[in-house]
Amino acid sequence: MDAVSITIPASPQYVGVIRLVAAGLAARQGFSLDDIEDLKIAVDELAAYVTGSQGRLGFLEVVFSLDAECISFKGYGRLEEPEEVRTSLTELSRMILETVTESASLERVGATPTFHASKTRA
Amino acid sequence: MQARPAPDRRLADDGTELSREQIRAVFQAYQDAPNEEERADHRKTLVSQYLGLVEFLARRFRNRGEPTEDLVQVGSIGLLKAIDRFDLEREVEFSTYATPTVVGELKRHFRDKGWAVRVPRRLQELHLELSKTVSELSQELGRSPTVPELAEHTRHSEENVLEGLEIAQAYNFTSLDVPVDQDDAGSVSFADQFGAEDDQLRVLEYRTALAPEMAKLPHRERTILYLRFFRGLTQSEIAQHLGISQMHVSRLLNRTLGQLREALEE
Repeated sequence: MDAVSITIPASPQYVGVIRLVAAGLAARQGFSLDDIEDLKIAVDELAAYVTGSQGRLGFLEVVFSLDAECISFKGYGRLEEPEEVRTSLTELSRMILETVTESASLERVGATPTFHASKTRA
Repeated sequence: MQARPAPDRRLADDGTELSREQIRAVFQAYQDAPNEEERADHRKTLVSQYLGLVEFLARRFRNRGEPTEDLVQVGSIGLLKAIDRFDLEREVEFSTYATPTVVGELKRHFRDKGWAVRVPRRLQELHLELSKTVSELSQELGRSPTVPELAEHTRHSEENVLEGLEIAQAYNFTSLDVPVDQDDAGSVSFADQFGAEDDQLRVLEYRTALAPEMAKLPHRERTILYLRFFRGLTQSEIAQHLGISQMHVSRLLNRTLGQLREALEE
């Protein structure tokens, strides 16, 4: 299984870079445009917990894992004040992620806010 | 040199419509003016005569989210260009000559101002090309196309296609009342299409604790949320259902989710 990782400042303005990486990887796996859009929505949704709407001090690391049919990703909030991050999904997020991914979660591992999601090719 | 009839400036200043001959005389005087001051005077007369035409043309674009008075300003630039370029030797009415210039100025305004951030022309064109190709390929294949398929059809690299898809998020959003077919001002608007979904939209609001935030959303955005997250339609299917492009659905969905996220964070 191949893996690709990317680390960005924990700011919403850089989340688009992760979206592009996600789209690029999904395109190489033969995902359709609809599936790529779903994957980007999942990235946005989960990354927003770490960055907040105004950005936070620190970094967001996202590791994508690829196999023939599925892309999954894990995100780690390497933040100076990780306790600021909410680590339970809102009702809206649950609704969105249930629709656009096969599985998704948000939790705190030690002090680090951590998320995960996976998307299978249709 | 043959004497030319002097234009009756008083009539024009009163807002009275000048005759065809009087208009031609003003044009001749404008073109022959010995100095910029006189030229400006004649130009002012000509503008006052054709402002009604500009207002008429600007009103054709009034439902695209820009105040009509701003559009009249933009159209007036086109009018000035037309006045400058009009050749009296041509056997056409000035209004016939000026109309495409004024409309062109208005269209350019929307093309340039349609982007929320500065997007290079190359990417704007790529975006438009992709939007069209996605619709065509979805119809042809009966499913959502892949990036390699889009790249092949548009003869762009896969990286360019990905860039073009992502840059779509920078595009501004059209008014709810913009006709679906923008070339046909009489065509059905987005708002017209949503009546049947009303009851189901109420269900959406009741089923979530987001009712207050949902209620603030425009009808179209609520419909898209409902179709995607409650009825499970894909973006391509929603696009077909609403008669808009998949890329437009993507933009609206991303923007709406962003707004809801921010509202919840507050």
